[in-house]
Amino acid sequence: MKELKFFKKTDIIVILIIATVGLAALAGYRLIAREKPAVAEIYYYSDLIASINLNEGEERAFSIPQKPNVILHQYPDGSICFEESDCPDKVCIHTGKISMVGQSAACLPNGIIVKIVPAGERDPDDPDIVVGWHDAAMDR
Amino acid sequence: MDKKLKDYRESIESNKTKSLVLMALLFALALVLSIVENLLPPVVPSVPGVKFGLSNIAVMYALFFLRKRQAFLIALLKALFAAVTRGVIAGILSLSGGVLSLAAMILLMLLFGERISYLLISVAGSIFHNIGQLVAVAFIYTSIYTFAYFPVLLISGLAAGTATATLLRLIIPALKKLG
Repeated sequence: MKELKFFKKTDIIVILIIATVGLAALAGYRLIAREKPAVAEIYYYSDLIASINLNEGEERAFSIPQKPNVILHQYPDGSICFEESDCPDKVCIHTGKISMVGQSAACLPNGIIVKIVPAGERDPDDPDIVVGWHDAAMDR
Repeated sequence: MDKKLKDYRESIESNKTKSLVLMALLFALALVLSIVENLLPPVVPSVPGVKFGLSNIAVMYALFFLRKRQAFLIALLKALFAAVTRGVIAGILSLSGGVLSLAAMILLMLLFGERISYLLISVAGSIFHNIGQLVAVAFIYTSIYTFAYFPVLLISGLAAGTATATLLRLIIPALKKLG
């Protein structure tokens, strides 16, 4: 085995193929997902805390009871974002507004995930029934 | 095997102190790069946990010029460091990304041998690093629509892989002086 080359001419072809596939998939996905009615589901670790209908044109800022220091903002244009958070990296805030089905924003240090799902559809993984309630206040 | 590369490996392995120091340097390099990376704004802001993977440079160096074992060791230490400094979840993300990326790079090297270039290996490593992290995120938290981010991962992996390969090329001469 000889020492590898840093770069070969055929690399350009491979890179172009990867880029084309990526861009095409991205464009196709955006086209499909754009105009669907969407619901934002807010999770605290694996518990669904709230489902928010994004197509009602409401504007409000709110937080979930488990993490009052994390403020989410819903916009009338059907998008939602993390507005404030006490986490160190602020990845959640940098994510910006999300509105399309399939997008998600997460504040991992605080365990909060917001994901946009199609309205009126349920995930097959969703629980059919909730027995008991995990009280987050007990964790403090 | 190329004589120069073989000589280099042997000169490192024949001397325990040398190999210890080189591993320590590579680990230090990985840590500094990951700190620098954390200071930069996220590459793909909408995908949680997905980053440039600059510290992969150290892993790649170990893989290309030392042995697979050393590369895994650096990846493992990197994950451990992330777990200690940034929490268990960061550690798991780092580990799953690092191991999957390394596995993909090794597979490519075995499959294509000398027909592949460092650049492509690096690109594949970056793409699989991101995929590994996203899979871990999807496992830890309730099913995020992972597939929706796949195209983003491909493109960001391309950019990140090209960047890391270029940086590695700049760093190689400095590290080779040690041998």
